[in-house]
Amino acid sequence: MRIFKNLGQALRGLRLNRGNTVLMTLGVMIGIASLTVIVAIGDGIKIKVLSRIANMGFGPESFSVIAGAGRMFFARSQNTTSMTLEDAEDLLALPTVRLVVPRQRKRLQIINKKEFTSTRVYGVTPDWQLARGWKMADGNFLSDGDLDRSKRVVVLGATPARKLFKGKESIGKMVRLQNNYYEVIGLLEEKGLTESGYDPDDRALIPLTTSMSRLTHQTYLHSIKVVTLDASQVPETMETVRQVLRRNHNLSVIADDDFRFITPEGIMQWVTESEQALNRMLILISTVSLLVGGIVIMNILLVSIRERVREIGIRRCFGARRSDITFQFLFESVLVSLLGGLMGVVLGLTISFGLKRFDVLPTHITLEPFILSFAFCTLIGLVFGIHPARKAAFLSPEESIRSQ
Amino acid sequence: MNLIEMNSICKSYRNIGFETQVLNNVTLHIGEGDYVSIIGPSGAGKSTLMAIMGCLAQPTSGEYILDGEEVGKLNDRKLSRVRNEKIGFVFQAFHLLPGVTALENVTLPLVYAKQTPGNAKERARELLAKVGLEHRLHHTPGQLSGGEQQRVTIARSLINDPRIILADEPTGNLDSKNGIETMKTFDNLVKEGKTIVLITHDSEVAQHAGRIISILDGQIDSDSGVHRERNTLSL
Repeated sequence: MRIFKNLGQALRGLRLNRGNTVLMTLGVMIGIASLTVIVAIGDGIKIKVLSRIANMGFGPESFSVIAGAGRMFFARSQNTTSMTLEDAEDLLALPTVRLVVPRQRKRLQIINKKEFTSTRVYGVTPDWQLARGWKMADGNFLSDGDLDRSKRVVVLGATPARKLFKGKESIGKMVRLQNNYYEVIGLLEEKGLTESGYDPDDRALIPLTTSMSRLTHQTYLHSIKVVTLDASQVPETMETVRQVLRRNHNLSVIADDDFRFITPEGIMQWVTESEQALNRMLILISTVSLLVGGIVIMNILLVSIRERVREIGIRRCFGARRSDITFQFLFESVLVSLLGGLMGVVLGLTISFGLKRFDVLPTHITLEPFILSFAFCTLIGLVFGIHPARKAAFLSPEESIRSQ
Repeated sequence: MNLIEMNSICKSYRNIGFETQVLNNVTLHIGEGDYVSIIGPSGAGKSTLMAIMGCLAQPTSGEYILDGEEVGKLNDRKLSRVRNEKIGFVFQAFHLLPGVTALENVTLPLVYAKQTPGNAKERARELLAKVGLEHRLHHTPGQLSGGEQQRVTIARSLINDPRIILADEPTGNLDSKNGIETMKTFDNLVKEGKTIVLITHDSEVAQHAGRIISILDGQIDSDSGVHRERNTLSL
């Protein structure tokens, strides 16, 4: 077959023009390596976001109301002072609501003698445990009595417990938060790091009343978690909640909500949107890097053809058609980009692995870049090879044989 | 019947508005088995004549019939086939593919042949043996002397068993000993029935041919005629 012979001649051409081959390979290699790394980082971030959301403790039958206008995790105003315990009580009175958990939140230093660590401290009600379904590793959870008497007691997550007590008995010991000592009454069961490095165990829980009087010195809530009787009731409950809160906060008809919802559905939508934005970015960056690789191939091929005018002339003298020359150079360009692609994927995977290994960025390695780069490289080779190949084929045999 | 029949061939090149007439109304007939030298000073149009004769360029006007086929009007595909099957080229600068062994250089025309014979390697070996290079099969051009390289190009020109050998200054880059060797090889090829057209500016080399055509300013200046005794020194 004539075309296989052209392929053979292309392989020989690449071998004989090693310098140019290496340069062209390098161009594509860098493009594909960056594509591979970007895809790996993109997937890594996606997984991190998803697992973080999965760890927010959402069942399909629950949602959160966060104080402050805005959307999902992004507040338009900080420290909104509109949501109160009365709101929480009104919401609990709704017929479709099973549980409400009003919350305050503050990041604080927690100290045991010489050991200290910074953790998220939540003021919650005893229903928190029911809403989250989180078991105890040791001791007890906050009780109604603790709440009623604003007791200085604390339930520790596994991470601060380990940092403060180094595996020693902690129940009954005292830890310091700001200027007050709290008795450790329970330890939460350890959930462990998620794949992406989010630590759900990095938290401490105190009675909401204690938090109000001793930590935040205010009665406003950060959020209220609402658990409905059944997942199907979430939309209607949200609407009722909205009406109750708007009435309680005396919002006029034209005013925006001064609170926002986080729902499982809303999260899914948000994830989808972020994923789309991320993918668009990936496509853009990859296109640019591959375009650069392709242009490198085209330029070097054009230079290479100028160097090889005589060779082309010789081939034409002994019967090579224009199509033979076209195919030879097209094959060279495709082979080079495939080789560069292969090396790029290997380099990219090494970098992605390194980023993950040394905790620089979350990466996730999939089969995608292999397939993508194979397809892209063939395409690049064809698209950027066709111009030089045609140029070589249309050189006059008479002039090219005479060139020195 | 004439193997090569050129009637009123003109060739001009257009360069930035200037038109340069290189060949002017050349009529030339060469029979099968002829041994023809074309001589003339540089710039006379020898190489252009050879390019047209070798189907490397098309005449601007005129008619060129090669082996009964009007090649002046063929497309690239057919013209490439004619070059591949009917013509063998030998160049002054050898024009071997660099970095490729003698054996592979000789088989190059077979890459573009309609069908590659199964014994291609064998034939290439035989031809290289014929020019005395059986011990240099796997050497690249860089590892061969000038004379050896020229013998590889002759072997290459013969691999497809063409009717015509076109040689452009074949001795131009050789010392006298290798030059004589090369001319002997051509003499032998004529005896085997090949048609040889030799382009040179060296009148001594031209003497090997049975017919000497002199070109001057794109026109035939003189033609010694077909029925001239070979290897005589009169001009």
